[in-house]
Amino acid sequence: MKPLAGIRIADFTVHAAGPFCTHMLSQLGAECIKIESAQRPDIFRKPHAVYGRAGPATFDQVASNKLSVRLNLKHPEGIALAKRLVAQSDVAAESFRAGVMDRLGLGYEALRDVKPDIVMTSVSSSGQTGPDSHYAGYAPLFGAWGGLGYLTGYEDGPPVEMRHVMDHSVGMNAALATVAALHQRRRTGQGCHVDIAAREVASSLAGDALTAASGGVAVKRMGNADPQRAPHGLYATRDDDRWLSVSVSSDAEWAALARLMGRAELARDTRFAAAPARVAAREEVDRIVSAWAALVEAEQAAAALQQAGVAAHVSWRACDIARDPHTRARGAVVDVTETCGRQRKAVGFPAMFSGSDAPGMERGTPGLGEHEDYVYGEMLGIGRAERARLVEERVIY
Amino acid sequence: MSQQKPLTGLRVVEHATGVAGAWAGRLLAAMGAEVVMAEPPSLCPLRHEAPLLEDGRSALFEYLAADKRSVICDLEIPAGRDSLSALLEDAQILIDDTPVALRARQGLDPEGIAARHPHLVHLSVLPFGATGPKAGWTGTEINLVHAGGEGFLLPNGLSADLFPDRPPLKIAGHFAEMQGGVAAALAGLSALWSGIGQFVDASVQDANVAVGAFALQRYGDGSVEHRHTRSFRYGGVIECRDGYVELLTLEERQWQALVRLMGHPGWAMDEALDDPATRSARGDEINRAIRAWAHGHDVEELVTRAQELGVPMARYNAPEQIVTGRQETARGLFQTLPGMDGVVVQTAPFRFADAPLELRRAAPEAGQDQALLDLEDSRKPRRVTA
Repeated sequence: MKPLAGIRIADFTVHAAGPFCTHMLSQLGAECIKIESAQRPDIFRKPHAVYGRAGPATFDQVASNKLSVRLNLKHPEGIALAKRLVAQSDVAAESFRAGVMDRLGLGYEALRDVKPDIVMTSVSSSGQTGPDSHYAGYAPLFGAWGGLGYLTGYEDGPPVEMRHVMDHSVGMNAALATVAALHQRRRTGQGCHVDIAAREVASSLAGDALTAASGGVAVKRMGNADPQRAPHGLYATRDDDRWLSVSVSSDAEWAALARLMGRAELARDTRFAAAPARVAAREEVDRIVSAWAALVEAEQAAAALQQAGVAAHVSWRACDIARDPHTRARGAVVDVTETCGRQRKAVGFPAMFSGSDAPGMERGTPGLGEHEDYVYGEMLGIGRAERARLVEERVIY
Repeated sequence: MSQQKPLTGLRVVEHATGVAGAWAGRLLAAMGAEVVMAEPPSLCPLRHEAPLLEDGRSALFEYLAADKRSVICDLEIPAGRDSLSALLEDAQILIDDTPVALRARQGLDPEGIAARHPHLVHLSVLPFGATGPKAGWTGTEINLVHAGGEGFLLPNGLSADLFPDRPPLKIAGHFAEMQGGVAAALAGLSALWSGIGQFVDASVQDANVAVGAFALQRYGDGSVEHRHTRSFRYGGVIECRDGYVELLTLEERQWQALVRLMGHPGWAMDEALDDPATRSARGDEINRAIRAWAHGHDVEELVTRAQELGVPMARYNAPEQIVTGRQETARGLFQTLPGMDGVVVQTAPFRFADAPLELRRAAPEAGQDQALLDLEDSRKPRRVTA
């Protein structure tokens, strides 16, 4: 069995952050029922021109492995049906703007009435409370609010916008908090309302800088530099747009790098031998490493540096990740087969388990309403005639 | 009365030198687990990692180790390994980031741990995982954010426009390593949920591949992303009179609200711009107009009005604006811990019910909780080499 086998999630989440949460839980073995309506499908099912692409940006990955039902939450009977679904679930997850679930009649109190130990997971931009709780946002805004955007960037340049890694990072945190809440339920018999504010996830990822700032330390953008390490950066190699990341954390590593560069004497050079000196002479150190890197093949150099105990890796593109034997062997990259038979690559769960079945995906992207026979028929026991009526009256819609 | 927390009663032993393992432990501690750092005599290296506070303490360590306990345990000698073993008897999770090659020597190999502590979730957190062809590889933050794919795609937007020839960029701080920590904590709690003591092999690279999922999906769809071309066609990082804002309008109604926010300027009244595809194609022209307009406004005024109208816009907050922010203050996001002299730490990235999680104590002094080791061992003099 997968680790979370037996857990069922009523999934009201939309966009990327919330769906990534339930997607991770689904890969871990939870049964995840995605609830949408034809009237208002998850907006990530459709393309957005602002991205400059014709197809939907992101839906396939986070919808994979989920079951799909249609349900019209604007209809009173739709709300009643939603409650019946929740009553048979362990988790209800949502990512609407704060207050929307309450207005729909599906707030935590209402869900607790139908399932006293429900774990409700709410993902929002700024949290369920506070003066900004009504704010709308997407990944780049979360990063901006939370400080990651301000702190990322070249020293002489503007802030940098965080993209979908920000959304997914919110989802990963939400998944963690949800499983923690399930542990609490197991221990106490009580559910709870889990509140994940995306901007607070962003600020948690810059927490060291925030703590430093509160102590009066000036914190600013510093590009790829590290206050305690040199060399530390991205170096252009002989091939176009092929960059090698190198990070030297100790004097022994510097000596190893110097030998590898064919310049063993640099390990004894007092200008560079000790870390503080190298940091002070960062630009000169970078010139030396850059001159060497410009002639090397990136992957071979990374492997040689690793062999010598120096932290290095090529700046990888998606194609590098997709064909890497290591990520493949670990199930970090997997193949998913769609209902139509088409195979595509997707990311798996980022850990392996020795005693449980491996996390992963058995199904691709669900069609809208694809699993209503199981969910409405088998699970809720709604007969064919009644279902036909609910479809006719646009409750199941 | 102490706060009810989700993981009350859980005991975690953390043997970690890196941010990923330490962050996994910190997240569990914030949720109520008792997390005991088992430090070597040379002490946890994170105690010296930047950024440093004025008194020389590491802000990173104060943040990562808040609410933890510390014992010193020399795993190079049998007595130290026995002490760790005794500690693990009462623990449910062991977090370890010892390089694979050193594990057996320190009594941390999965087989040995499983034989001695079959109930335990042995959570390995390594840059490239504990199995696979690159299990022996090492990596710091900058290597890992690039091994996961996001580094190659940064910077995008305004930075990429301004500096197209510069190298790709890391995200500030320890973003990639912390992804590894979150994923590891999730994996560890999931293994615990299964009720099966087992070895869990988390990888920082894998966690970053996971959160960078869309790049892989788009590659499969035949589109290769690049930092120079993945900018939003319009919006993005916008400079105002006194700082920067982020602007992103995905929905038609949001675009219409933006036009209203700008006061229906003549250029935006062009009917051709009613078509999203045309807006995308004329993104550069639109952004020039947005940037010229925004330059005449203050950030605070603009964001408030934008959000009132339903335009997704946010201020690029500097750290000091966050620790004193109205939203963060209202939600009790930061906490001053005993002995911290006004220095605050964020309690957690999530909360349960209506109150923020409360941290119980500041980061421990090294060996502060040595009494947690068995009594006989605690009477022995400590060998500290730091």
